[in-house]
Amino acid sequence: MNTQENTIDTVFFAVVTKGKANALLHKAQELGARGGTIFLAEGTTRSRFLNKVNPAHAHKELVMIGAGQSLCASLHEMVFQTFKFYKRRKGIAFSIPFKHWESAAENPSSNQEPGDGYSAIITIVNRGRGVECVQAARKAGARGGTIVHGHGAGIPKEYFFPLSIEPQKDMVIILSKKETLQSIKDSILVSMNLADPGNGILFILPVLRTSGLFENRMVEQRGAGS
Amino acid sequence: MNLLYAKGKEVLHSLVPLVLVVVVLCFTIIEVETDIFVRFLVGSAMLLMGLTLFLWGVELSMNPIGIYMSNEVATSKTFFGVVVLSFLLGFLITVAEPDLLILGSQVEEASGSTLSSTFIVYMVSLGVGLLVALGVVRLLRDKPSLNIFLLITYLVILALAFLVSEEFLAISFDASGATTGALTTPFVLALTLGLSQAKGGKHAEENSFGLVGIMSAGPILAVMSISFITGQHHIHGEASAFVPSTGILAPILESIPATFVESLVALFPISFLFFLYNGFKFKLPRKEVMGIVKGLFLVLIGLVLFLDGVHAGFMDMGRVLGMQIASMDTRLLIATGFVFGLIVVLMEPAVHVLGIQIEEVTAGYIPLSLIRLTLSLGAAIAISLSMVRITVPEVKLWYFLLPGFALALLLSFRCNPVFVGIAFDAGGVASGPMMATFVLAFAQGAASVVPTADVLVDGFGVIAMVAMTPVFSIMLLGTIFRQKKTRHGAQEIPMVKMAAASEEKAVDHTCILVVVNRGFAAEVVDLARKHGAAGATILHGRGSAEERAARIPFINVELQPEREMVLLITAAGISSLIAEQLMLERQRIFEGFLLVYSTGGDAFIKTYPEG
Repeated sequence: MNTQENTIDTVFFAVVTKGKANALLHKAQELGARGGTIFLAEGTTRSRFLNKVNPAHAHKELVMIGAGQSLCASLHEMVFQTFKFYKRRKGIAFSIPFKHWESAAENPSSNQEPGDGYSAIITIVNRGRGVECVQAARKAGARGGTIVHGHGAGIPKEYFFPLSIEPQKDMVIILSKKETLQSIKDSILVSMNLADPGNGILFILPVLRTSGLFENRMVEQRGAGS
Repeated sequence: MNLLYAKGKEVLHSLVPLVLVVVVLCFTIIEVETDIFVRFLVGSAMLLMGLTLFLWGVELSMNPIGIYMSNEVATSKTFFGVVVLSFLLGFLITVAEPDLLILGSQVEEASGSTLSSTFIVYMVSLGVGLLVALGVVRLLRDKPSLNIFLLITYLVILALAFLVSEEFLAISFDASGATTGALTTPFVLALTLGLSQAKGGKHAEENSFGLVGIMSAGPILAVMSISFITGQHHIHGEASAFVPSTGILAPILESIPATFVESLVALFPISFLFFLYNGFKFKLPRKEVMGIVKGLFLVLIGLVLFLDGVHAGFMDMGRVLGMQIASMDTRLLIATGFVFGLIVVLMEPAVHVLGIQIEEVTAGYIPLSLIRLTLSLGAAIAISLSMVRITVPEVKLWYFLLPGFALALLLSFRCNPVFVGIAFDAGGVASGPMMATFVLAFAQGAASVVPTADVLVDGFGVIAMVAMTPVFSIMLLGTIFRQKKTRHGAQEIPMVKMAAASEEKAVDHTCILVVVNRGFAAEVVDLARKHGAAGATILHGRGSAEERAARIPFINVELQPEREMVLLITAAGISSLIAEQLMLERQRIFEGFLLVYSTGGDAFIKTYPEG
């Protein structure tokens, strides 16, 4: 364990092809990360043919690692070098400022520059509608999205057998540039009918740095720093 | 990597070794007619396409149908409603199963028409319906626990087993294999998943499996009671004389219409019930219904290709291999059986479906590769033991079945509870269409050459063995998982000091992420609700292994703890209160493992209408 990093002030997220998450986590631990959590997720395909039949999904894994600033920088460096994020389709990574509540005596946050102008739009909708949400975002200029399955907190209901119905949900993560943020958000809000209660919620988190994102086919985009 | 490609690759991975083994055998020690050999290759190609399409279609159609129907079952307002609907589901999917019809007519013939085929089919379907209803009630009540339920079921089977003849014992297990067909198993798996999701609670994971296992006890009980009720004890059957079909394309094309009708009939009850309910109750959006219809078409096409490829391409090949190898050397026969067991079980359609469900439910905590390896080894041992049984007449079927099930049930009290359901499901899943054609033909081929063997009894026994050994081997794996499970001891708590009232200015809402061990998400939500949070979303994942990482020896698989992440969106004012309260309870409630992250300070977060 690395001791030079005490304060965790960001959470590093990476989306990789299924099966790669363990290796990534190992590398991260070598770099000093204390641990992480892996979720199964779905990416979206762009193939016309497959879109016709079933617009979801390539199987992905989402890795979440709490990290300090310098660790976070080296994690971005690591996915870039080891996992070849400079190539398309290898995966994406991004970090979001979060306060870790374990050692929260003093929080040195807020001196982080707001990165390369990305934001993460997170939408939580009923299971099965995540794909629609990505499609709506695409129309407004987003490149793609990652869907994670989850469920809502149980609401106890009395049928014959007492059940606590846990509504199944899709959580959709979409990374967006500042310029497109507004239009993507509006597109999702309108097409998913989020203004009406019960259809889902949407919130936006700031992103400090990204790796592996390509805005168009030729240009390779790289996170700030390094 | 998209889904179609991924599925194709998965199927190819299990198909290639089998084709290689058979080709090598054909070029070295086995003499086989060119027709059969070419047909085997054509059948393999059809199998590859068929299974890929089938698995894809299952994900699109069977899964959603299973989930919707299970919600319907779970939200019944009366006890009667739950029982009747689940009985009906079990009954309908079984009565249309083509394998069961074939078995029924075989038994009718063998019993000299004293038992009519229809009678057998209805009795078996009745048995399945009854067991499914019992299983569903058990799941919703959450008691008795699955292992006790299975223990009682198998004790009843054991008691009946003493009263029936060996032929009936073999046939009853074969009936169990016939009902857990390519279509029913994915449906029942999805049904279980939906039920346990609807039920929720701490045991949701354990409850996501086990119904296939329970269901496959139905036919055994039914056939045994038939023998008991009618007083029919002995049946004599001769497997029909073996005539390898000639030609390459003709046998394949000829059987397509029949296979098509069979698959259509098998698919009908589930689809019918779904569309009936959809018309009156679910009223799903057109788009979703169209998706399911497309999925059903894929399932149909895939199933026809798969079954036809297997029937036309694999059966004769299996038969010839069995006959020739059995006449050469006993040890070679046992070894070949072992190799086939290793490979063939991975080509069962339902094995893939079960694997996907395991991975989804446990979020990768139980590695898929490990489950496959265990299943392979189980089936390999089953088939090689069956070969021993064919060559040595003194060894009886129950020598293996009885201790196998007894040990498995014993282990079920010691193993990781999730594995109990998985193990019994695996038994039903492993004895699918590949076993019923290729391996059965192989065994019958071998038995027809060995003079002391009985083609009927020994042939059927193979299926029973394949249904038993995976239960045992997976239960063993579960015991290892139980023992290697890491416990989080009490840790030093760093003093929780909040940056005094970190003023959260101009922020509408705060997002809090809480990571806890599996099963504690509900506590987090309760606590958060007590302090003013409205709702939460729970994601299911796995953590990184710690320094005291638990590893399984030899294969070097790391066991990672299962985690849950709770995502809370709260009004800015109460977020620090909630985080603080959570940290205070860290030791008392959360076994010492708790991570809390929140967008604090001046990080901005905007939320939009909340439902």
